[in-house]
Amino acid sequence: MSAVARREGRGGDAVLGLVPRAVFEPSTVEEAAEAIRACDAEELCVTVVGGGTDLGIGGRPSAVGAVVRTGRLDRVVEHAPADQIAVVEAGVPLVALQERLAPHGQRLALDPPFPGRATVGGLVAANGFGPLRTRYGTTRDLLIGATLVRADGVVARGGGKVVKNVAGFDLPRLMVGSLGSLGLIATVTFRLHPLPEAAETVLLSGLDPEGLWRTVRGLREAQLEPSAVVALGAGPFDLAVTFEGFGPAVEAQRDRLAAAARKEGAACEVLDAAGAAGIRERHDAIRAADGLRLKVAALPSHFPGAVADASRVLGSAFRGPGFAGYPSVGVGFFTVPGPRAGDAGGGGPSAAAAEGARAVARTRELFERLGGSLVVQAAPEAVRAAVDPWGEPPAALALMKSLKERLDPRGRLAPGRHAGGI
Amino acid sequence: MDPGLVARFAAIVGARNCLAEPPALVTYECDGLTSMRARPGVVVLPASTGEVAAVVRLAREAGVAIVPRGAGTGLSGGALPVAGCVVVGLARMRRILEADLANGWARVEAGVANLDVSKHLAAAGAYYAPDPSSQRVCTIGGNVAENSGGAHCLKYGFTVNHVLGARVVLADGSVVDLGGPVADPAGFDLLAAFVGSEGTLGIVTEVVLRVLRKPEATRTLFATFPSCAEAGETVSAIIASGIVPAAIEMMDTLAIAAARAATGLDWPEVGAALLVDVDGTVGEAGHTAARAGEIARGSGALEVRWPRDEAERQLMWKGRKSAFAAVGRISPSYLVQDGVIPRSEIARALGEVARLAREAGLRVANVFHAGDGNLHPLVLYDARVPGEERKAEELAGEILRMCVRLGGSITGEHGVGADKVVYMGEMFSEDDLATMDLVRSAFDPERLFNPGKVLPAPRLCGERPWPSRVRPVEAADPAGPA
Ligand SMILES: Cc1cc2nc3c(=O)[nH]c(=O)nc-3n(C[C@H](O)[C@H](O)[C@H](O)COP(=O)(O)OP(=O)(O)OC[C@H]3O[C@@H](n4cnc5c(N)ncnc54)[C@H](O)[C@@H]3O)c2cc1C
Repeated sequence: MSAVARREGRGGDAVLGLVPRAVFEPSTVEEAAEAIRACDAEELCVTVVGGGTDLGIGGRPSAVGAVVRTGRLDRVVEHAPADQIAVVEAGVPLVALQERLAPHGQRLALDPPFPGRATVGGLVAANGFGPLRTRYGTTRDLLIGATLVRADGVVARGGGKVVKNVAGFDLPRLMVGSLGSLGLIATVTFRLHPLPEAAETVLLSGLDPEGLWRTVRGLREAQLEPSAVVALGAGPFDLAVTFEGFGPAVEAQRDRLAAAARKEGAACEVLDAAGAAGIRERHDAIRAADGLRLKVAALPSHFPGAVADASRVLGSAFRGPGFAGYPSVGVGFFTVPGPRAGDAGGGGPSAAAAEGARAVARTRELFERLGGSLVVQAAPEAVRAAVDPWGEPPAALALMKSLKERLDPRGRLAPGRHAGGI
Repeated sequence: MDPGLVARFAAIVGARNCLAEPPALVTYECDGLTSMRARPGVVVLPASTGEVAAVVRLAREAGVAIVPRGAGTGLSGGALPVAGCVVVGLARMRRILEADLANGWARVEAGVANLDVSKHLAAAGAYYAPDPSSQRVCTIGGNVAENSGGAHCLKYGFTVNHVLGARVVLADGSVVDLGGPVADPAGFDLLAAFVGSEGTLGIVTEVVLRVLRKPEATRTLFATFPSCAEAGETVSAIIASGIVPAAIEMMDTLAIAAARAATGLDWPEVGAALLVDVDGTVGEAGHTAARAGEIARGSGALEVRWPRDEAERQLMWKGRKSAFAAVGRISPSYLVQDGVIPRSEIARALGEVARLAREAGLRVANVFHAGDGNLHPLVLYDARVPGEERKAEELAGEILRMCVRLGGSITGEHGVGADKVVYMGEMFSEDDLATMDLVRSAFDPERLFNPGKVLPAPRLCGERPWPSRVRPVEAADPAGPA
């Protein structure tokens, strides 16, 4: 029998300040199952850690007895270029997967920040995404199969290796956004997309909320098909619209948007490759900041106004909150950089704790009033202590608890982390 | 069913909408898979979520199984009654409640026909993307339950990618909203589990659909080939070129002949044909259509045709969409199979199908979603010839096993239902199935909804819970007039 690598937990293994007793580093699916079985037998609560980029999402687990790191589950099991699918172990960093696919002219249409650290399993568990969500959706739309390890160590598979498949319940999609609380995601199977031949980005700047919504709606009405629509800053907004596809068709879309924007009198610039990369860097820096990170959502028509209001509220309590969002989807992130390593206390959220917590609560009200939401993804301790990370409990909370009880009857997997304290 | 109980159901939905007399029940004895039949105890046709909830509460109290039903076009026996059950038909709930086109969604009742949604939105230049060939009749609720696909799902995805929210009546009679029009609702993605659950987790009464703006342009090409090998190669080459077509449909000689007979299209007698749609902006569609045409020629196409106008384009699609039914013109009886193979294996798989058919001494027509490898072999037979129906069933089963061997699936869009429960064990392990069963029991611990469908009950493993060849007469309640 193989033995899964195991050691004592250290300070560096801490999850939101909780140091685990044991750390497991499985290198096969069987070893992952062995690790989970050991935790079950020893009554250790488990937090699964991939790249560790999104451990702050939601509540702090009520106990972290063990951490299972997926980093050694690092094989691309299969890439079938002609079928445009890949079977990947959970611990493979997104960048490593993309590097395998690119020579075949393919990609996973997913572009979250931290692609070097974020693992594919973690991206599914945390529902990670970036600008390409505009066109390709989330991992929910890309995932076609998964192997998971249940809380009792049983290995179960759902979905398959073909894009079209309706046999059995959709266990893979159920894992999207589950934050390790329904099972350990051991392997994932994705549908892939062709790498575009060409890409063009148009930057509109100085948009007020009405102008932003007019532009976003105009894209739809004009039947343009951007791959990414990214709003940066919240007062006023910059809007970067990226078209991808075949050369001449992409250029035509670019020119149509630019012409429409100029007719409206908006400041508009067609970016060269360096300019587009610059926007991407700015986006990533905002998304990656983790002194405070709030994910907000509302219907696209409500979104720009709510974001502008929220920006003012947060700006009164935090130093220079950044905003990066996807206005055609109605999802975005407010962030504030955290203290840099070695720079004790300084540079972080400057607000007095109570003031910060109030601003976050007030921001949540702005979105919830519109039927939207705010989820805390990272926050200073004082804010975390005062604000529920999830907000209003989901309408189907009882059903979610019922599911959790079936799949994890002893409550071993990240207890307390998910919405409604699940 | 006990008349007292029937009366209580009638009190909820009104006597006119509560059917318990055998002649009225016959329609509900099967779905599109007419070879499997069973007599329900009662059929109720509620008009609101509240009525559905009351029906469910009463059924639960009485310990009667519940089988949800839309238009009954399902092809896997999903809406096949369990003998003596209550069938809950959503046919009267067909209102389009709300459309918010700027934000890209619409809220509809579950009984609305798929195509009616797009018709309703057409004037505003919007549409609902998943387009099963049965879209004139099949309901959105049935689509959600089956995670239905359609020709254009190659580019746009399946029902699961286009459903944002669902109002569901659970087994205890409570009503819950899963998801909604705003992105990323908190909590587990129960909506993902519900879509494709084939009526085993609850009854959906309202659905929030994603609504797309119509693409600026759609270009269609029809290409003919000497055999399925060249057509299959063309599919792979188009995909490999980086084009994401809206649809690639393939027809073999028999299917082309059937479509010709049904529509009068002047399609030639060839080994295989592809019908390809590309869409997007005018520039994108024009460019990709031209490229796809070149690729077809380069891969051995005999001829590439472009429809002269929208009317001819519609006619070509009508030919494709009517091919199933049209096969009835060239064979007295047929079985529709639904299996998936990796799309790079099309030529090999069709070769296998032909070999299996030869061995069985039967003909198979192929008309299918080639872009995603979703085969729909139509096994032709003559039910009047003793033993031929069984042979046809066995052949259809062998084709499914081949799909699994090639790394595919036992169903791409028609679902498992009652028909394919026996094949689930060939695709999934006991542990996989047990885990799916945990999900089911989280929703419906008493197995009130659609028992015996999708997941093999351990005690029934390897055998069908229904006799496979029950005729209506045999299924009739001995007490009633058959
Ligand atoms: C000619 C023809 C062509 C077809 N083409 C396609 C195709 O291209 N693609 C495709 O995917 N399918 C196709 N189908 C299959 C079928 O039309 C689909 O499965 C469709 O979604 C079924 O819808 P329905 O309303 O008829 O559902 P039904 O057949 O009545 O029911 C199907 C299943 O859904 C459940 N159900 C129905 N309504 C509800 C509800 N409100 N709540 C919970 N569960 C419910 C039932 O219990 C059953 O399990 C075709 C069928 C035919 C006859």
